[in-house]
Amino acid sequence: MILLPVAALVMGFLLVYRFSIPSAWADYAAIAILAGFDALIGAVRARMEGQFDEAVFLSGFFVNMALAILLAYIGDKLGVDLYLAVVVALGIRIFTNLGRIRGLFVRSRMEAHRARHATPSR
Amino acid sequence: MRAFWEAGKAWTLPVAGVCLVLGALLGVQVHTQQLRGATEVGRRSSALVGLLTNSQGQLELQAKEIAQLRAQVGKFESEAMSDKGVTKRVYEELQTSRVALGLLPVKGPGVELELGDSTMRRDNAEVGGQDIYLIHDFDLREVANELWAAGAEAVSLENQRLVAGSAIRCSGPLIQVNNTTIPSPFVFRAIGNKDNLISALNMREGVLDRLRWAKFQVKLTPKDVVAIPAISIAPKFKYAKPVTEETP
Repeated sequence: MILLPVAALVMGFLLVYRFSIPSAWADYAAIAILAGFDALIGAVRARMEGQFDEAVFLSGFFVNMALAILLAYIGDKLGVDLYLAVVVALGIRIFTNLGRIRGLFVRSRMEAHRARHATPSR
Repeated sequence: MRAFWEAGKAWTLPVAGVCLVLGALLGVQVHTQQLRGATEVGRRSSALVGLLTNSQGQLELQAKEIAQLRAQVGKFESEAMSDKGVTKRVYEELQTSRVALGLLPVKGPGVELELGDSTMRRDNAEVGGQDIYLIHDFDLREVANELWAAGAEAVSLENQRLVAGSAIRCSGPLIQVNNTTIPSPFVFRAIGNKDNLISALNMREGVLDRLRWAKFQVKLTPKDVVAIPAISIAPKFKYAKPVTEETP
């Protein structure tokens, strides 16, 4: 069911909406969110391609998040805007994956359509 | 296509768990950003308001203190005056200097002059810019100059005593005298020979003539008693030193 993840997303949002974090952390949280979305969309794509693996997904989610934050942090310490590199890399990946998902979706619908009209009942 | 979203046991639960974490992160982030936006503006304006009220309070306190100290000095002097003779003459001299400096409130016969913005502005707003129908700092300076020239002994503008060194100037849309902002209409009070003052102000092609021609609201009234306040902060002399016989 697709409803469960969506409900979880909304519930998580509503549960935590009243809290806030120090503004120094806000940039890192944004990077973490981006990494999380990347992992999620990657998982949807993998699922559609029939290659979904729970361990790969979970490890990817948390490790990528941590890595993105670490990279941004190191950039902060070095005075280089490394978080921009993270944002660009993740952004490109999210877009590529979304494009792939769209392609798979359209193709599957076309196949279903063709299958329906190719039935010998006519 | 339904096959993609079927409840695969290995699929839904981890994704839902991750979505929960992600949703929580999003929530905290959005909330933080909203708070950050709200507090930054709030912080700045409340700091400014605090600064302003603080300095206003300080100003009031200091004005009170000045009045107190002046009263004290007056008391000491009146005590000293009872010694008669030289001290009395010194005291009289001091009073005259004080009046000249504007350190004492004074009263006497004189005139009151009220200047308001032009009524022409309302009649035909199309003619020219708005600011030619407003009283400007230079109008006030001209009036003050005319009053001094006509022999005024003390002049005030909106209860600000004009002394040597009183600047009438424009600061943005407002006019300041003695570094105090004054509102329109502007009231001049001057002590001196009433007839001289009035005829000097009404001189043909003089200040008021020009203002009346442009339909500024000019109200000039002779008064038997005009009260003029003291200057609130006495001028300090930091660079000017008196020249005496001893100093080369």
